Amino acid sequence: MSCIYPIGGGKGGIGKSFIAANLGVLLAKQGNRVVLVDLDLGGANLHTFTGMPSVKTGIEKFLDKTVIDLTQVAVPTEINNLSIISSVNCSMEIANLFAAQKLKIIKAIQKLPFDYILLDLGAGTNYNTLDFFLSSNEGILLLTPEPTSIENAFKFIKAVYLRKVRQILNQREFKSVTDCITGNDNAIEMTARIIDAVAENDPEKGELLRKQLTEYQFKFIINQFRKTVDAKLGEKIEKVCNRYFYSKFHFLGNVCYDERVHESIYSKKIFINKYSYTVSAIDLSHIVKKLEKNRLAGRLESIGSHE
Amino acid sequence: MNNSEKLNYYELLEVPVDASFFEIRHAYRDALLIYDEDSLSTYSLFPDEERAVLLKRIEDAFNILIDATKRSEYDEQLVKSGKLKPSERLTRYQDKSIPIFRTGSSAEKNIFFKKVQEKVKESDIKSLAEEIIAKELISGQDLKKLRKAIGIELEEIFEVARISISMLKAIENNKFHDLPSLVYLKNFLKSYAEILHLDSEKAVDGYIINLTLMQK
Repeated sequence: MSCIYPIGGGKGGIGKSFIAANLGVLLAKQGNRVVLVDLDLGGANLHTFTGMPSVKTGIEKFLDKTVIDLTQVAVPTEINNLSIISSVNCSMEIANLFAAQKLKIIKAIQKLPFDYILLDLGAGTNYNTLDFFLSSNEGILLLTPEPTSIENAFKFIKAVYLRKVRQILNQREFKSVTDCITGNDNAIEMTARIIDAVAENDPEKGELLRKQLTEYQFKFIINQFRKTVDAKLGEKIEKVCNRYFYSKFHFLGNVCYDERVHESIYSKKIFINKYSYTVSAIDLSHIVKKLEKNRLAGRLESIGSHE
Repeated sequence: MNNSEKLNYYELLEVPVDASFFEIRHAYRDALLIYDEDSLSTYSLFPDEERAVLLKRIEDAFNILIDATKRSEYDEQLVKSGKLKPSERLTRYQDKSIPIFRTGSSAEKNIFFKKVQEKVKESDIKSLAEEIIAKELISGQDLKKLRKAIGIELEEIFEVARISISMLKAIENNKFHDLPSLVYLKNFLKSYAEILHLDSEKAVDGYIINLTLMQK
């Protein structure tokens, strides 16, 4: 069973690609087969974080049908067990992906034969990003301890919820539901209202929606953490979100701010390799331990359900 | 899931129904740190009006739960509305502190003390204890004999009195070279005697006199 972790977060420049690349390296070093997929379409640069100045092949070959299997465009990196599927060579229009192409990519990703599949998403809440985020039942939300990032993260959660609703309802049903919410509604109120509205029209669908939202799990990481920030910030957000949203929220940990992150990007080297002794590196390895534990728990559960 | 209004005050502050005032104060402070308008953790999550309502409720919860009379009235309401089982309701609120160190399990200790208490009521043990305490000189063997009769192991004494086993053995075998200075010894003897339900003052005196005579 492979674990797909999309890494999103609304705001740009908070370190999504950095976190994706370094988590990937650490997971691979633990002996897992890992693939990084750069889905920041039109803004792809994940390869640089893995120490590769360029990649020969990528998603474009899969989209123009040069290859049939997405696995064929997974390029090995200098790290054992770690591959990357890049989108850097895609055409300029790739950011505006057709729905059919998007679906094709998502289906192919779900079939990739790896232990961990990390999806590096772009900023913002456009449909592509949201659909890629929803390609798995658990996504990693990245934030930084700044009001702007927190605000965007809550917006992102709201957008993910709405998108999930859209996946379950058809066009007409969706329209009638979204009519009853206003743009100013906060995420909490919105979900409650939507579920109520759906349940009123169709109790079965309302129940399905509630179930799917309950099963969805947001994991989140606070990046660029500084000493001046409240050390319990992550736990507080986890507590509030678990209280007010339907889904489960799981705080994976803080990753300390470090000037050397910038330096490693500048020198196009893998941070975790060059500065493995830093606090940030240790923070990342703690997160990796949690992810591995999570995968193990998931596997045990699936074994249990097959018996 | 906008359910803050459905939560009762205990749930809102995330404290158990039998929470002490100390715990309530802490829970209130924690809640403010999360829901206050300056809090980063809920920035932009609630509109201003909703946050105001939420903070008001937290304030109300604190004001009621921190006041014994008001809290009692509130508990009664909860019982009446079926949200609280009558058995769960506290009749007296304690300002109990939270232990920082937990040494041993108090439940086990209680079982041990009960066992000893019942045993010493038996007539043969009672007469043995009376016989020992009536003596002018009490030796370690006397203590050991009584301990064996009650059926207590040295390990059990160690668990409750935290006197090392080697020390207990030295006491029982009158090994005065291994015994500590008098002030410590007296305290050890006192604890030991109390566990055996002996008159500790008499037991300590008898033992010390015996020891002094033996040393001469």
